[in-house]
Amino acid sequence: MKLNGAQIVIKQLEAHGVDTVFGYPGGAVLTLYDELYKASDKIHHVLTAHEQGAAHAADGYARVSGKTGVVIATSGPGATNLVTGIANAYLDSIPLVAITGNVSVPLLGRDSFQEVNIMGITNSIVKHNFVVREVESLEETLREAFHIAGSGRCGPVLVDIPKNVQSDMCAYHGNQPIAISKQLCTPDITEAVKLIADSKRPYIYAGGGIIASGAQENLQKLSEKIAAPVGLSLMGLGALSCNYPLNLGLKGMHGRYAANTAAFECDLILALGTRFSDRATGDVDAYQKEKSIIHVDIDIAEISKNVASHIEICGDVGDVLNQLLSAVPEKRSTEWIERINALKDEQKKQESGYSCIGAFTPKNIIETVSRLFSGDTVVATDVGQHQMWTAQYYNLKQPRTFLTSGGLGAMGFGLGAAIGGSFAKDKQRTILFTGDGSFGMNLIELATAVTNDIPVVVIVLNNQSLGLPRQWQTMFYEQRYSQSGLDRKTDFAALANAFGASGHRVECLAELEAVLGGLPSDRPTVIDCPIGCDEVVLPMIPPGGSVKDMVLGG
Amino acid sequence: MDKFTVELIVANKYGVLNRITALYAKRGYNIDSLYVNETEDSNVSRILISSKGDEYTRTQMVRQISKLHDVKKVVLMSQVEI
Repeated sequence: MKLNGAQIVIKQLEAHGVDTVFGYPGGAVLTLYDELYKASDKIHHVLTAHEQGAAHAADGYARVSGKTGVVIATSGPGATNLVTGIANAYLDSIPLVAITGNVSVPLLGRDSFQEVNIMGITNSIVKHNFVVREVESLEETLREAFHIAGSGRCGPVLVDIPKNVQSDMCAYHGNQPIAISKQLCTPDITEAVKLIADSKRPYIYAGGGIIASGAQENLQKLSEKIAAPVGLSLMGLGALSCNYPLNLGLKGMHGRYAANTAAFECDLILALGTRFSDRATGDVDAYQKEKSIIHVDIDIAEISKNVASHIEICGDVGDVLNQLLSAVPEKRSTEWIERINALKDEQKKQESGYSCIGAFTPKNIIETVSRLFSGDTVVATDVGQHQMWTAQYYNLKQPRTFLTSGGLGAMGFGLGAAIGGSFAKDKQRTILFTGDGSFGMNLIELATAVTNDIPVVVIVLNNQSLGLPRQWQTMFYEQRYSQSGLDRKTDFAALANAFGASGHRVECLAELEAVLGGLPSDRPTVIDCPIGCDEVVLPMIPPGGSVKDMVLGG
Repeated sequence: MDKFTVELIVANKYGVLNRITALYAKRGYNIDSLYVNETEDSNVSRILISSKGDEYTRTQMVRQISKLHDVKKVVLMSQVEI
């Protein structure tokens, strides 16, 4: 069977079970879009307002569905607009295949119209990338791309397809196996089992690897079996239900008091599918003092990269958890559990003192929304104070329900991700917590949500400023608020209405509840919630600091 | 700082050397010497890279390079082997 390059792309998308793609057409991908037009009964293409939104949507789709997300863009500016989205997927280990068009092969390297060397540009933010110079290698390349994106530690793969390769013809072979030679590690848990058995105060630090591996149930089983409290990285949120008593929630710079203090007081950290980012550890020397560390990760290069571990276990965290569960002895230190409970009580007292500006506080807003939606509702965030508050106070109950830009911290991630997440759940309602700064970056995607009848609820925690920079300027720059005040006159409710969405401004919890009680099911809703600009995210371990430096406020 | 050399077996394709040297650049490690040779098998090249770094650096470089899709094998050479 002879097909052109664009038809081969469609065949390969189908072969990998892709039924939804996100993208934006342009000159160098028109041949591919012509085939997408013909295949529209099999592959649904979601047109966004900007390529960055498409990349974030494909990322959000992948996070919710567990499948590899696919985004398509044209050459030049189309490709460069994907860069933030690709970097975001790279730092959060999200499986993504980005397909870009490029100028025809004879024009490559001549600075042709809308030509960029996207392979060079993306080299350091992809697992791998390809330029397909002959149509004969396209089929195998796409098969490799999906394999690389979704295997081992997942991540983005970019496939750049010049225009002539999309129209050139060659034979299509179908299901040929690929020769992938990357060796997998064989985890050895013997030493770890001994260390866990000897530990008096074990602590589990779990990350996004648990969710990627689908190991949430075994995580809880292990925590129960060895009576170890669990602190979660930002990417690990949702891996345990908020109702599980030993789930201490977020740890790190803005982590919960109990999660951070327990990590400090423990004698053993069992790190599962996480990478000890600087935001999770602060001062590494203080962090690893007087304790043993067992590090389990699928990526050997993460082990002992940021924190020197005593025992290195390279492997899929799901497999390792299975082995640990059958090998570790059941244990319970009453003293340690009592200490954990005391820390949780202390935390409760402190948190009641954080918000001082009336009742319409970030914590109350997030807890109200959390109470009104079911546990399978997908919650996205942008980046900043609202993100940390959501990570602290939203009662997550299931994995793959929390979409946040963890590693890259990309403002503007949220709306695209919330739309992609909704598509992954048959257009179910998703929630986006954002700030006036972040929302301003990519709010154009409201148009996408309206066109596609996506009932996303956008909660704007509007403090008229860039909250985290302002908070740092308060704490570390003697209140010189350099460029962090927004002072915009944007009427978000009117803006939402102009997009064809439903817009509201609410100033108390009762008004918020009233709006949330009557949400339209066929279009987005934007709820502008004014909050005080001096609300701060607490607790906070200052950058490079340790638990001893924790700012508690109150 | 100790001198260290890694031997790599890689796919003989354009762009591969770029991916490898970029990993050194990302961490700010200078490359002191570099040899690239096509092997008897024209699909495969052999690369030798010498640089300076402590044990942490050496381990990290080997592990990071091993992750590259086009890299088939990484060996950290001891001084004796060189």
